[in-house]
Amino acid sequence: MDSTQLTTLTGVIDKKMNRQLKQYMDICARCAICKDACHQYVGTGDFKYLPARRAELIRQIYKKYFTKTGEFVPALYEARDPDENLLDELYDSTYACTGCRRCMYYCPFSIDTAWILSVAKAILIAAGKGNEMLGQLADAAIFKGDNAEMFNDVMVSGFEDIQEEVRAITGNPNSRVPVNKEGADILYVALAGAHSIRPAAVIFEEAGENWTISMFEAANYGFFYGDVEKARLITKRYIDEAKRLGVKEIVVPECGHAYRVAEFFYEAWSKEPMPFKISHILEKVDQYIKAGRITVDKGLIEGKVTYHDPCQLGRNGGKFEEPRDIVKAVTDNFVDLTPNRAEQWCCGGGGGIVAMEEFKDVRLASGIKKVEQLKASGASVLACPCENCRLQIEELNEIHELGLQVWQVIDLVVAAMPLKGTKPTHA
Amino acid sequence: METYLWITSVWGIYLTAIVFFGGMAWRIYQWATTPKSPVRLGMFPKPKSGAGRFGKLLADTFIAPQSAKIEPTMWIFAMAFHVAALGAFVGHLRLIHEFPFLPEWLGEAGMNTFAAWSGSIAGILMLVGVLFWIVRRTFGPYKSLSVPEDYLLLFLLLGVVAMGDHMRFVYGGVVHAATYREWFLSLMTFKPEIPAELLASNVGVSLGTHMLFTDLLLMYFPFSKLVHAIGAFSSNLVRSE
Repeated sequence: MDSTQLTTLTGVIDKKMNRQLKQYMDICARCAICKDACHQYVGTGDFKYLPARRAELIRQIYKKYFTKTGEFVPALYEARDPDENLLDELYDSTYACTGCRRCMYYCPFSIDTAWILSVAKAILIAAGKGNEMLGQLADAAIFKGDNAEMFNDVMVSGFEDIQEEVRAITGNPNSRVPVNKEGADILYVALAGAHSIRPAAVIFEEAGENWTISMFEAANYGFFYGDVEKARLITKRYIDEAKRLGVKEIVVPECGHAYRVAEFFYEAWSKEPMPFKISHILEKVDQYIKAGRITVDKGLIEGKVTYHDPCQLGRNGGKFEEPRDIVKAVTDNFVDLTPNRAEQWCCGGGGGIVAMEEFKDVRLASGIKKVEQLKASGASVLACPCENCRLQIEELNEIHELGLQVWQVIDLVVAAMPLKGTKPTHA
Repeated sequence: METYLWITSVWGIYLTAIVFFGGMAWRIYQWATTPKSPVRLGMFPKPKSGAGRFGKLLADTFIAPQSAKIEPTMWIFAMAFHVAALGAFVGHLRLIHEFPFLPEWLGEAGMNTFAAWSGSIAGILMLVGVLFWIVRRTFGPYKSLSVPEDYLLLFLLLGVVAMGDHMRFVYGGVVHAATYREWFLSLMTFKPEIPAELLASNVGVSLGTHMLFTDLLLMYFPFSKLVHAIGAFSSNLVRSE
């Protein structure tokens, strides 16, 4: 292959090299225990989705260019150049991966395939093969950060509309959606779309929280795309807002990867300590309920309720109990999925895959385990925080005719709150 | 035969020792001097205390409970192999020094019987483990995952175990630990010699071949995926970070 291209691509691995990556490259025994862990491999049986195989493509380059044995006897490791064939397979296996890290959970050496694939994404981007859709969405978010004034008026009027809706729900004409409020304790970083703001606003207002919202959303397509610099700039938008407004705490929405980005990745990207406490909205809601700052009535939610752990929130974020405690506070009729918590099946919709039409078939096929779990639970209501999970599960719900109502957890909470206003009707 | 033994079981061992220990030191040096991942790669549930993390590290590395849950068959065979390999390693320490207490308790005949039983069990378990892996790798639905390195290691392992078993089952009652110890201690004191008893019987061929495979396996060890033997501690620790 072209030597400039080769130098570029091996240079990416060199730049991304760290102890964990090196060990993952060196120690994988190719035992394939990960095969039963991956919803995509289980759902499709397609070899390229076997977690160890996804990592093996990077290992083949690593062996050839970063180890003496692989350099002298490449055949022993099937070591090879990052040529078109390799990159094409790598594109499919990397961008299809939802980053759920269920394979890491079951691996006897805890090999983090998603971490290896973050290098794969950097290689693909350097080769001009990054996913276009994710790249464009990331660039659009960065553009919005650079040209905030262009978006200001339309956003502010949108927040005013939401404020009216909140007042209708709470029945309190003084309920507010404070925008860019200096001196607020909490900056709530929502998603684009009223659905992630309205119920949160109802809860914050009823809890008497000193909160504010600003213009930037928590979703991070730079993270899915695999470009650290883009991901950092997208996150930096709301970190800068939080600094400007002088808040003490940043609260991220139900969205799974937003929490992981803020809590686990941003410090490493920005190379500076996170100056704010990062909380997930469901942590706050759980605290409000337990402290009696908001009231919820059991019995307002009908039917058996179950809960899906989004991978980035559960296995990768550690929030197993707070959402469950909330759901159990709004209903006595709760049933857990099997398996659950750290062993929860990925729904198949994470990692930005819902935004990539080309992976629709594998995405839907990979949801089969989630469908089986949901059927076995006998639940009629599903509480599901993550936006990507919800999009995926709603689609599975329709195709497999599960007859489920799929709710955000905060919508469930608002529905269970005894408020004077009119309850929003749920889809 | 004497030449074969001098190559495989004297000079080969010296070379292997240099390559193995040098290679492992190089491997550890490489890992240690590569900067850590800037991102915390831990996952949940995550122990909060240092002691909890250490306990989880030991459990994950030595018992791999999650792997046991998802593929019990593989786990049983892998566990049997590794425990048997540990047992075999401990048994081989008799090459350096006779166990304390045991010979006094059991008597010479008793000790030979004990060694025969424990060695046989370990030898069979290892053989079964290796054969299981060969079959699983060759005929599993994900066999395309395997690369020549995997088969090379299994082949070398099979050679080591098969010839070790051969010595155990065919010559176990003929040549005892004391004879092997004489040979091995002469190596360790750098005055190598091969006892006449090893040359007199055909056990020399088995020993020579056992050592040939062992030399090759251990020389390749630091440059192969077998470095999971030490790397697993570090990578499993990262799980709790």
